[in-house]
Amino acid sequence: MNDARPPIERLEAVAAEFAELEPRERLELLLEFAEKLPPLPAELKDEADRAAHRIAECQTPVFLWVDVVDGRVHLAAEVAPEAPTVKGFVSILIDLFSGAPVEQALALDSNVVSRLGLLEALGMMRMRGLQAMQFYIRNRLRAQNANR
Amino acid sequence: MPHPYAHPEVLVSTAWVDEHKGDPNVRIVESDEDVLLYQQGHVPGAVRIDWHTDLQDQLKRDYIDKHAFAALCASKGIGPDTVVVFYGDKSNWWACYAFWTFKLYGHAECRIMNGGRKRWELDGRPWSRDPEPTYPATPYPERDPDHGVRAFRDEVLRHCRAGKPLVDVRSPGEYTGELLHMPDYPQEGALRGGHIPGATSIPWSRATNEDGTFKPAGDLEKLYLKEQGLKRRAPTIAYCRIGERSSHTWFVLKYLLGFQNVRNYDGSWTEWGNAVGMPVARGSQPGSVAPKTQPQ
Repeated sequence: MNDARPPIERLEAVAAEFAELEPRERLELLLEFAEKLPPLPAELKDEADRAAHRIAECQTPVFLWVDVVDGRVHLAAEVAPEAPTVKGFVSILIDLFSGAPVEQALALDSNVVSRLGLLEALGMMRMRGLQAMQFYIRNRLRAQNANR
Repeated sequence: MPHPYAHPEVLVSTAWVDEHKGDPNVRIVESDEDVLLYQQGHVPGAVRIDWHTDLQDQLKRDYIDKHAFAALCASKGIGPDTVVVFYGDKSNWWACYAFWTFKLYGHAECRIMNGGRKRWELDGRPWSRDPEPTYPATPYPERDPDHGVRAFRDEVLRHCRAGKPLVDVRSPGEYTGELLHMPDYPQEGALRGGHIPGATSIPWSRATNEDGTFKPAGDLEKLYLKEQGLKRRAPTIAYCRIGERSSHTWFVLKYLLGFQNVRNYDGSWTEWGNAVGMPVARGSQPGSVAPKTQPQ
């Protein structure tokens, strides 16, 4: 990912893409994101502390690796194939944050699910689970940034 | 020879669905937890009904009313005599929820495809990625809801005080009060943890096999009747957190085991655990509401 734009600008761009669509078509776009979630790098697959990367707030198994290397955000994820909604949303979050300076990533504080206009298509109950992932990334970044 | 379910006709196999997918008297309906699964691949010819965005009123906490229900059926090409077959992800958890909602509005011919998406996949049957098909709109009668399948809070309170059977189908941690929500699911807000006094803990998934199908009648009888002491003739109420998992158990008790009077309390723990003054029991024992007037 060599997107030089700060996450806030990236979010505006992807939100504009979603805004052009009807709520049901937005789900098609979300599915496209799900299908392009990059596979987990081989070195993370065998990681012994895999369980530590599982997001407890989330329904189907979701594993997220959130790291700050040289001040920049590194993200990797693995999501069960039977949870394409989660997969699509994780894929968007990776696009939003990967490679960005951590301060810029932390500056993005809007609710990504509602910013993308997905609330209507997904409903309130599903939105909470997705939001939990955004919070998870944010909390991990904040903790690592504080330790730098 | 294994003995049959009480109402075996409500379950159909993936083979039956495959054969009837073009039958104009049959409408196949997918209902999932994950809203993208239908798009990723569905049973050819199936329409989609979402438990949340289609079946729930988006303003107040309730199901859609009879007008909206009739309009929904009409728009999916479902007439009053259509055989509606539900299937979905997670052992048909949401399919049972949609089935229950159709029964609430008195739809006669409802079926569950045993095993849902998982069994369809395991059986190597085809998936379609076509957009949702449209069928000619069918007039659908508006019927008042059948409250014989639905229990409201005050009725549950009377039921509880009378010591009648209640089944709590949530996870053990939610039952005892250690957890305020399902393990691994987002917090969905209950201010108190525990269960309705007197309720028996039987997690819903104990009725299912690994492949998403229902356990055989003998196993279900052993679990619900022998082990947990429920009775087919006793009026019984099932609940969970928002009435989704308990609609699965409601289906098992009513159609597979033949309970005569079983209702789903859809207000469930998110209502009970937030309402003021409701009796609550904590821990692994059912407990009771009987006030302790004399020291034992």
